[in-house]
Amino acid sequence: MEKASNSFSGGRKYRNNDITVYWKPDACVHASYCYRELIEVFDPGRRPWVDMNGAETDRIIEVVNMCPTEALTWKWNDEERNKDISIDQTNHVIFRRPELLGTMEQSIQENPVSVKIMTDGPIVIKGDFTFQYGGNKKEIKEGIISLCRCGTGGHLPFCDGTHRKIGFEDK
Amino acid sequence: MSNMETNNEKKSFTLVEVIDDGPLKITGNIVLKDLKRDVTESPKEVYLCRCGRSEKKPYCDCSHKRYV
Repeated sequence: MEKASNSFSGGRKYRNNDITVYWKPDACVHASYCYRELIEVFDPGRRPWVDMNGAETDRIIEVVNMCPTEALTWKWNDEERNKDISIDQTNHVIFRRPELLGTMEQSIQENPVSVKIMTDGPIVIKGDFTFQYGGNKKEIKEGIISLCRCGTGGHLPFCDGTHRKIGFEDK
Repeated sequence: MSNMETNNEKKSFTLVEVIDDGPLKITGNIVLKDLKRDVTESPKEVYLCRCGRSEKKPYCDCSHKRYV
């Protein structure tokens, strides 16, 4: 599957001594948490845009976990450590892209749905779930929806970015 | 492939429900992550504020009823 050491099917991968970060550009919704939090590592204006030497491993993991989609995921290079991942490691590949866990058996049969409360922003829900509103019911498969939390959007129940205009502060 | 699909055909375990003039109710298998407060949890049932007025964000505290 792998054509070169820095690519995998669907995107590119970046390594340091501890972890591998996978980047899947098709999945990106430009929430921009990666470069706003850690421009030293994730700099869209640089090639390659990910520099794994730009920060400590713990910090890189923290920021990858903020990504609301599976555009950025990560795993330990030591496969043994991938066998016991706590649920707060939301963007570990076991939750987002279990097919990337090369040698490991897929121990988690049903991936939990990811619900992220964005800072002063919407609720971003990702995964397989049933979505119900206004008498409609829809099965979402590997989908992503963004729901308004400020109460003033023009496309309720969905987020349309109004929270930024009104300066919605989540406190 | 088709075999797998029929075997796995089942309704999603997780239900995301927008309650009219009320909160967002989510039940099932979720990982809830609140980035601002740095809280991660896996509740089986949760009600999230949609009106922006809750004193207990991100959870609903029925503040919406005061404004309807």
